[in-house]
Amino acid sequence: MAQRAVWLISHEPGTPLCGTVRFSRRYPTVEKRAKVFNGASYVPIPEDDPFLKALLFELRLLDDDKDFMESRDSCSCINKTSIYGLPGGGGELWPVVAFQKNDMIYACVPLVEQTLSPRPPLISISGISQGFELLFGIQDFLYSGQKNDTELNTKLSQLPDLLLQACPFGTLLDANLQNSLDSINFISVQKHPQKQPAWKAGTYKGKPQVSISITEKVKSMQYDKQDVADTWQVDGAVTCKCDLEGIMPNVTISLSLPTNGSPLQDILVHPCVTSLDSAILTSSSIDAVDDSAFSGPYKFPFTPPLESFNLCYYTSQVPVPPILGFYQVKEEEVQLKITVNLKLHESVKNNFEFCEAHIPFYNRGPVTHVEYKVSFGQLEVFREKSLLIWIIGQKFPKSMEISLAGTVTFGAKSHKKQPFDQICIGGTAYLKLHFKILDYTLTGCYADQHSVQVFASGKPKISTNRKLISSDYYIWNSKAPAPVTYGSLLLVSNCFIDIHRLAYHPREVPWDGNHLLNCFSSRTCENLCILITH
Amino acid sequence: MGRLSREAWAQRLGAFRASPSAFMAGPEGEDLGRDLLSDLRSEKLSEQTKVSLLVLSLEYPAQLWPDAPAAEAAASSLLDTLVLLPPRPSALRQPLLLAATTALAAGGALGPTSAASRRLLPLLLGLASGRDLGRGFGPASEQRPLQATACECLRELESCKPGLLGGCLGLLRGLLGQEGPVGPVQPLSLLLALALRNTLVTQARAGAGLQGLLVAGVSPAGASPWNWTLAEDGDAHLQPQAPSWLAAEEGECGLAALEPSPEEARELRAAVAQLLDTSYLLTPVAQAQLLWLLGWALRGLRGQLPVLFKTQLVRLLGTAQLTLLHAVLALKAAFGEALFTAQDEDLLLRRLTLAAQHPALPPPTHLFYLHCLLSFPENCPLGATGEEAAPLLLRPQLCRGLLPSLLHDPMALLARLHLLCLLCAEDEEKDEKGQGQSPQRYLGELLAGLRQRAALDGGPRALATLCFQASYLVAHCLAGQPTVMTSLTHGLVRLYRDRPVLAPHFVDLLDRVGPELGEPLRVALRQEVVSRPGKDEALRWHLQMLAKVADRGAQSGTLRFLQAAAAHCTDWGLQQALLQVCRALLRAGVRGGLADLLQALARQLEDPDGRDHARLYYILLAHLAAPKLGVALGPSLVAPALASSLVAENQGFAAALMVQEAPAPIRLSVGPRRAEGPGPVLQLQVEVLEPVYSLELRFRVEGQLYAPLGAVHVPCLCPGRPAHPLLLPLQPRRPAPTQLDVRALYTTPAGLTCHAHLPPLPVNFADLFLPFPQPPEGAGLSFFEELWDSCLPEGTESRLWCPLGPQGLEALVSRHLEPFVVAAQPPTSYHIAIRLPPDSRLLLRLEAAQGDGVPVALRTDDWAVLPLAGDYFRGLSAAA
Repeated sequence: MAQRAVWLISHEPGTPLCGTVRFSRRYPTVEKRAKVFNGASYVPIPEDDPFLKALLFELRLLDDDKDFMESRDSCSCINKTSIYGLPGGGGELWPVVAFQKNDMIYACVPLVEQTLSPRPPLISISGISQGFELLFGIQDFLYSGQKNDTELNTKLSQLPDLLLQACPFGTLLDANLQNSLDSINFISVQKHPQKQPAWKAGTYKGKPQVSISITEKVKSMQYDKQDVADTWQVDGAVTCKCDLEGIMPNVTISLSLPTNGSPLQDILVHPCVTSLDSAILTSSSIDAVDDSAFSGPYKFPFTPPLESFNLCYYTSQVPVPPILGFYQVKEEEVQLKITVNLKLHESVKNNFEFCEAHIPFYNRGPVTHVEYKVSFGQLEVFREKSLLIWIIGQKFPKSMEISLAGTVTFGAKSHKKQPFDQICIGGTAYLKLHFKILDYTLTGCYADQHSVQVFASGKPKISTNRKLISSDYYIWNSKAPAPVTYGSLLLVSNCFIDIHRLAYHPREVPWDGNHLLNCFSSRTCENLCILITH
Repeated sequence: MGRLSREAWAQRLGAFRASPSAFMAGPEGEDLGRDLLSDLRSEKLSEQTKVSLLVLSLEYPAQLWPDAPAAEAAASSLLDTLVLLPPRPSALRQPLLLAATTALAAGGALGPTSAASRRLLPLLLGLASGRDLGRGFGPASEQRPLQATACECLRELESCKPGLLGGCLGLLRGLLGQEGPVGPVQPLSLLLALALRNTLVTQARAGAGLQGLLVAGVSPAGASPWNWTLAEDGDAHLQPQAPSWLAAEEGECGLAALEPSPEEARELRAAVAQLLDTSYLLTPVAQAQLLWLLGWALRGLRGQLPVLFKTQLVRLLGTAQLTLLHAVLALKAAFGEALFTAQDEDLLLRRLTLAAQHPALPPPTHLFYLHCLLSFPENCPLGATGEEAAPLLLRPQLCRGLLPSLLHDPMALLARLHLLCLLCAEDEEKDEKGQGQSPQRYLGELLAGLRQRAALDGGPRALATLCFQASYLVAHCLAGQPTVMTSLTHGLVRLYRDRPVLAPHFVDLLDRVGPELGEPLRVALRQEVVSRPGKDEALRWHLQMLAKVADRGAQSGTLRFLQAAAAHCTDWGLQQALLQVCRALLRAGVRGGLADLLQALARQLEDPDGRDHARLYYILLAHLAAPKLGVALGPSLVAPALASSLVAENQGFAAALMVQEAPAPIRLSVGPRRAEGPGPVLQLQVEVLEPVYSLELRFRVEGQLYAPLGAVHVPCLCPGRPAHPLLLPLQPRRPAPTQLDVRALYTTPAGLTCHAHLPPLPVNFADLFLPFPQPPEGAGLSFFEELWDSCLPEGTESRLWCPLGPQGLEALVSRHLEPFVVAAQPPTSYHIAIRLPPDSRLLLRLEAAQGDGVPVALRTDDWAVLPLAGDYFRGLSAAA
């Protein structure tokens, strides 16, 4: 379960080494065990510089990939997990857990308590998940709340002391490094009569309050095609901050849905949740949703930690995407003729904090000329970036439907400035919607203030808030191929295509009710009926 | 060296960290460990600086104190520093404890005879049990963190010396169960769990029971808490105990040997329950460690212990925590059906499936869960362990969200593609067709998308690499599905047509895939290349491709292409590429048109190196038989990095075309004598240790005793297959024994020609014996007498005594002299006439044998034979 060494490496493309080791820590007592356990297959931990070089090469982060190199580009060098083998002095160092996030590379080498040849399956090595958790913990610590380099450097300089607390001998004690920092800072004098959880450095003193915030993200892939179904999915996170006195206050939060709300699925909870209804545990997006699906209330009893934490995550399948669109691009010599149509569904709250459609053009030259007409909002043109941004604003018009038509002319392609994209080849193109609606969730999910039960001294102030934001909300050019997922093909083959388009435009779609109805699951049908009758 | 300032230390530590080995090799290296220990007591340095010194010693004790005595001294010094700290709050106590522990454990000094160990262990145990150790150990506010640190130090020592804390189990249980003011739960729990696991394993191995070690709050009377005997085997206990996953059979982990008494079983149950009941107070990562430890500790033990975990499972299954779900999988692997019913297994799989794609979790977690799915420890596994496979309960419907799309990053795409391939393989088995979107069709579309991206002009190499990795994966998993292979082949050929610059990737792919994809792809690519006009800006790639795929098929097309291309090969690189193709064709055994092409190239190429090369190939083609040519042009052992490829290649040829001196894999011996025919013939037995072809054995006799001998040829010899004896006619000029010098020339299976010197073969006097023509029936005796008389007066007569063995005269004669008997009255009288080439005779009368020997009367017409005959009889008697 222990780690032999940990590294933080900043990726700096363009510099001679392409990176710098910002932090490293070795654990010699673990290393000693590794030597015994691994026997003849033992490979020692290298010094920082050779490790840096080997890791960057393996992660393809060195600048030079002009020529084919067998050790990196061979078709049989297949990595399916973030775990690597690095060639080095006297053999291959394995397993190296490593991933990159925000230009920082996180790496560690877990101890394997057996011989390494043949390599044991990763699932059997307890140090792998422990290593991941350590690296995630470091990542959270470095990037929570900080924005500039100075803060990052300050946090990096705190790491040696923090790991002395959180991981003194290579065995991780707490992945929450902030917690370790707090425990250095306030050392409690008295011994508590009650057992104190290790994940709580101290106790809160002050006015009791509980805040609950639900954030839903909606993503979508819309194609407007006969043979590919549109897909969309909502995923939500419930974040809590409980300022309550006492060592182990108990809290129960219930999430509720309105009558026509979409059931929550794939629920993952924070480890502080003490028990879980089996209906919550088993509701899953893998199964077809039907009437019998559990639709709440979803109760989460827990003992909160001091800091803000994610009580649970969920996903949901709502019957329609909040905004339906189509996007057509026609190539006419050096010009592109584009048409965009967007419609907000009438069930969605028409009050945005912002709403924009980003229309990028990849693998082309800079935009030299645009002629356009928008029915609503305004268009901004970023010529060098080959990007149009259609600012829709706070509200859709009364018709709920807006459109953009125009022609875009491009200059000569110069490889450096214009963006390259590996998906948008030929006619393949997309527009991406960015929007945010406050005090609203697409599933309808809410936390009722009155349903929050707190078993602690004092009556706490309870605040709740909700928001919906878009993430990966793509509308693809319907006149060209677009990347599809298995799901969108599967839905088509089951005749599920464009039911939601029906819901948006009930009169425009040729309606063979019997045929379609036979194919619906009853729940979708019910939702559909609700929508049509609106 | 004097005390260093803070800045000087910062600089020194920086230099050390940049490269510890370089620093230690430098002038300052030697003093670093000593300076560090002494400056820890300096009053000029801030605590922060001292902590950074201690952190360094935690990381590099082996560099600072390279041997056990140095480590022991360092640990003592660190403990002294700790004791000397003033009784006010200090940030040094905790790192000093850690540093002393590290120095002892990493330096190999930990043991019952080490003074520092005898100081450190009681100190740690005292701190861990919350005992008041006096003012020297800091203010009350530090007690709690020090207690936790002491537990961690003990845990590390127990990890390095499993069984060390076997005597402390009761004490630790007592501490954990204390009511009222309590110590920190997590460090105590983890320490107890580890000590429990190690004790169970070591006791089981020693065949001992738990011996009341577990009774809470009680240390066995008079016993020391340190169990050095359990730990004394040292590293032996560190051998993988039972952590290995599925491979470890029940018996292997050794716990089955431990049969706790009912009382012990009750205590064990209570201890485990106690640990699990308070596990929610631990951080998630520590909970996971606890579960792994207990899982390892209890697997294989009889009784109802696994059920204790059941209450924790629902809570654990609900979380998104990687470590916790991983620990549940470990429990699953450890206990199987004893803890997870089929329904539980199904639920676990579903949770794993959704975790592998949940948008709230980071991508590395998804990938790890996907790996866990394909290595899932099933209750009833089918098929071989070790190979990744989709578990039985993972129905295709469950995997829908786990299938790849072009939007995934390369690692996720490959991982999901692997799953898709496994589903396609199953799909084929079930042969369900028609309904809905088949995984195969989706796979085809996905691969097409990958190829389209790879074909993108100027796109990054990573895209091409991904496309070929995916193709390789598919070829590996679905080799048995011809439809998939066919469409893959077509797609790849199209990709080559679009972007020949990917030729190195194709060559690599062809090197690694099996024949199911490799063969058709090779043919299709060859057709694709040769159908092009020779002039093409991608000529370099076409030639590289062709060098890989060219063989005897479609020779004329290939040669036509090369002829056309030759005119455009203007630079050295292109010419070499062209010659590489010629070389490949030579190896493949193409002859006809190739000779013309090579001749043309030898005249036409601009570069002298190229011309020489072409000429060399032509000469090889003209002079060597096909198999030899294949070997000569085979992969060279010489690194091909020399400036002229001709030089490099020549070294390869040299090996192939020259005769190599080698130790012979051949054993030659003289077989039974054949006394017939006009002259003496040696019968040779040949044995070989490896196949040998075209063997030629050459024999030579020292001096002029024999006429020169002819060579013996054998086309092929194989080990284990009996060979016909080889006949070697001898032509002695004098009837004398000799030695034959033997040399062998042969070809190895690798095609190399070898030459070997074999041990000399002896030709004995008896090997030269030949019979006289058989006289008519009844005339034997008179024939003999005639010969006997004719020997004198030129010849000589002699008598000698030949001792006989227990079998007597008859046996002696029949064994050695039977063919030469002319007349006899068995068993008492034998008349023997021997012809000795070239023209001598030896006549023997063996008569009137007595119990222990026979007198031999001997005549010969050649004086020189007499001593040889004497030796011969002495030899016979010695053998008898």
